[in-house]
Amino acid sequence: MNSGLTDPAFWSRLQFAFTITYHYLFPQLTMGLAWFLVYWKWRALKTGEEKYNQAARFWAKIFGLNFAVGVVTGIPMEFQFGTNWADFSRYSGGVIGQTLAMEGMFAFFLESAFIGALIWGEKRLGPRAHFLAAIAVATGSWLSGYFILVTNAFMQHPVGYTVAPDGSLAIASVSAFLLNPWVIVQFAHNQTAAVVTGAFVITAVGAFYALRGLHPTQTQLYLRAGTLVGLIASLLVAFPTGDQQAKMVGDHQPVTLAAMEGKFVGGPMAGVALIGQPNVAKQRLDNPIEVPGALSFLAYGTFQSYVHGLNEYPQDTWPDNLELLYYAFHIMITLGTIFILLMGYATFEVWRGALPSNRWLLWVLMLAFPFPYIANTLGWMTAELGRQPWLIYGLFHTRDGYSKVVSNGDTIFTLIGFTGLYFVLGLLFLFLVGREISHGPDEEVVASRGEEPFL
Amino acid sequence: MIETWYGVVSFLLIVYVVLDGRNFGVGMLHWLVARNPEERRQVVAAIGPLWSWHEVWLVAFGGTLLAAFPKLMASAFSGYYLALFLILWCLLLRGMALEVGGHIPDRMWQGFWDFVFVVSSFLLAVLFGAAGGNMARGVPLDADQNFSMAFFTDFGVRGNVGLLDWYTVSVALFAVVMLAAHGATYLTLKTDGPVHDRSESYAKWLWLIAVPFLLIISVETWFVRPNLSGHGFNNPFFWLGMIVIVVSGCLLFSGFLRKNEMRAFLGSTFLLAGMLATGAAAIFPVMLFSTLAPENSLTAYSVASGPGSLFMASLWWPVAFVLTGAYFIFISRRYYGKVSIKRDNQGFY
Repeated sequence: MNSGLTDPAFWSRLQFAFTITYHYLFPQLTMGLAWFLVYWKWRALKTGEEKYNQAARFWAKIFGLNFAVGVVTGIPMEFQFGTNWADFSRYSGGVIGQTLAMEGMFAFFLESAFIGALIWGEKRLGPRAHFLAAIAVATGSWLSGYFILVTNAFMQHPVGYTVAPDGSLAIASVSAFLLNPWVIVQFAHNQTAAVVTGAFVITAVGAFYALRGLHPTQTQLYLRAGTLVGLIASLLVAFPTGDQQAKMVGDHQPVTLAAMEGKFVGGPMAGVALIGQPNVAKQRLDNPIEVPGALSFLAYGTFQSYVHGLNEYPQDTWPDNLELLYYAFHIMITLGTIFILLMGYATFEVWRGALPSNRWLLWVLMLAFPFPYIANTLGWMTAELGRQPWLIYGLFHTRDGYSKVVSNGDTIFTLIGFTGLYFVLGLLFLFLVGREISHGPDEEVVASRGEEPFL
Repeated sequence: MIETWYGVVSFLLIVYVVLDGRNFGVGMLHWLVARNPEERRQVVAAIGPLWSWHEVWLVAFGGTLLAAFPKLMASAFSGYYLALFLILWCLLLRGMALEVGGHIPDRMWQGFWDFVFVVSSFLLAVLFGAAGGNMARGVPLDADQNFSMAFFTDFGVRGNVGLLDWYTVSVALFAVVMLAAHGATYLTLKTDGPVHDRSESYAKWLWLIAVPFLLIISVETWFVRPNLSGHGFNNPFFWLGMIVIVVSGCLLFSGFLRKNEMRAFLGSTFLLAGMLATGAAAIFPVMLFSTLAPENSLTAYSVASGPGSLFMASLWWPVAFVLTGAYFIFISRRYYGKVSIKRDNQGFY
């Protein structure tokens, strides 16, 4: 019923899923790059070496393109709460509207005020103020992420609310709402994952230049920073943040944990499946190869811990797309593990000075950059599919949230529109970023664009 | 409390329309005031990278509306469904045109994005104008606080209305003229050379049309919503808005007469803001009027969040607003002054 093609909730879900997935390809890179820019501007300020400014200048241009696409694809997200999820907005707007408004007022104003200064204002501002602009942009982009994640954390694990006389939700405790234990873990996990994306993209560009023998000074800078930060961030994504995230799911959404792992039957010594396809009809994993006890240990601390199985819950409380949830989670974990190994090896090669001659590894690093995007997307799919069938976990069903007055035809039309627009936008973005990368960082001391435009 | 939040939400929307409205105006006049590629870059540079900062006011409006008046956002946005997505798509295209149009110094590339800029700006002025007309006229809200509207029905203003009728179309046309006049006034202040001279003469003509047009729209509105003025006369903000309109009208007039461009621009800005504020005060407390039955109308009191949520928002909102003011000062100091072809044609914009 829930995924039937005649179900209005299905089309609104599909549209939201598509537009948010597409949108988040861009902010994850800006959030991932932001602190690299701050770091290079800081190094430039301290050492006075021009190469750091060149790196910051080059990546600020990539950042700017990402920021622009992030802005134009982000605005429809906020409006879809009203257009497609009217009953959800009626029910919870007094709570989730707070953080959406805060994102605009605190974070987005900050970021958009200083982004122009960061990209075009180097000469006019002077090195110190330009460094501060980089900090302002980085702070704005991460604050933005925080407020959006508070909103999501409330939907995953509602706290600090009260039910008003008319049945809608209202804020009861500001601090409980903003410092939801869920958001602390989720923010750490999500932000380190964004840094992984940033590190992989910087490494990939470095590897491309290294293979071509271009821009040697910059190449060295990108490869060193990219691989080391990539290794640290990949480790942090898995432990402690990913580990804590899974424990949080185990504590508050046990049925979701069971679905993520394809645990149809509960018990102690629950294993983590390395291989195995969930078969919902027969309620089992096909040809499972498991690490025994691993799930019990990871989720609850001992090998003997009891892990709940799906059979303990009525089927209408299971996440409604169990297979997709299972694969999203497992492929994310697999990719995360590969990131640690790849970046560990690359960091080792950098350390012993062998990376420039290791062409195989450079090729792999160059081609690896899409995978953190995939892992980030799968992580969000795990979070959002795992929350089903609830819009707000335990409080409000997804099937109750959509706009009753919007016909399927309207939603299908706008979904087609978004698909077409975003396809063209994607081509345009790739073309422009490709152009910047092939143009490369400016080697001369002053940017070749001549006098800074007077805006 | 609810009255204050009605004011805050109106304020955010008004600031957005005043700031981005001038960009729509600039966009509509783009081909008329700029006759060669250099001049076109100059016009785009007059907006500069600020468009995203202007759009944040729309984001802030959307978020604050959801926090303070969730039931209004739910009813209005789902009811205006297709129209709202057309606005979002035009904003997307307009943003991309401004952002990437100057990236490649090539005539085909820039010509294409200039086209996108002009068309999306025009459509945005029409769509926002029609939306404003719909707010004033009302929508077919049923007893469940829902409505879903066709693009057009019988072009009448009562009962089962559509998005477009004779009234909302005339408001949309007025928005085109008004925002074009506002944009031309901005370009007069912000540019030099031939673009400046052309903008100045367009601005004069457009204002000469806009002012009588405003009177026509007022009379129409009085016909479409006869009881509006009754509401408005008892609201001090209505009179405050009226005073702002008159004073800024004088500023505008004397600004053009004395060639004081800043004065004319301030007049134009506050005239637009005063008009919208007067409208917001006149409809209060009804936020969305029902053309089917007045008792179905959504008032600020019936759609507001609970007191707890409004109280929380009152704690953080002023802090955020002060910070925003600080960024505004930073931005306007940095971008103060005219843009000219000579200095600006080497950059991205």
